Amino acid sequence: MAVNNTLLDRLVGLAMLALASAVFLYYTIWTLLLPFVDDSHPLQSAFPPRVWAIRIPVILLLLGGAVVGSFLSVVMIRSNRKKALKARQKEAGKKSS
Amino acid sequence: MTRAQQTLSIGLLVASVYMVAFLGLAPLPAVIQNELIPVLPIWAIVSFGAYLLFKLGYGVLTFNDVPEARAELMREIQEAREELKKKGVEVD
Repeated sequence: MAVNNTLLDRLVGLAMLALASAVFLYYTIWTLLLPFVDDSHPLQSAFPPRVWAIRIPVILLLLGGAVVGSFLSVVMIRSNRKKALKARQKEAGKKSS
Repeated sequence: MTRAQQTLSIGLLVASVYMVAFLGLAPLPAVIQNELIPVLPIWAIVSFGAYLLFKLGYGVLTFNDVPEARAELMREIQEAREELKKKGVEVD
């Protein structure tokens, strides 16, 4: 069981590293460098219109917030239901004894 | 100066500098003013996210197993189990 740093682990780590760097570079060029580039430059064709540079992160943030919020609410509802059930069982136990 | 005070003062400084630039109180070239300044906060958030992912990936990449620590930990768990069982506590 003493496998030191399996290949799969390293690949996953490397993939995360590469993804993070790629996202950072692409987004930085998109938002900070493109305004200074002429409209006729071929580089402009590698990027969608700049409105999307704002829309995509906002959409992702809202989606992430919705997922976290729904997960939290499901867990809380479930735990409250369990608590109510236990309280009811206790009452029933007290009454019958 | 506590860590909270330090963070708060740096945050206020950055916020005030950004406000000055955002409200046009300091004259800047037109391109910078209209296109660059408004996107800076979102760029900062996206870059922060990328930095966190980078740190995570780097940690996963360089994480090595430590078999001796694992053996010692299992031994300690076993000892704790036996002690607790002697004292009558339910263990797993």
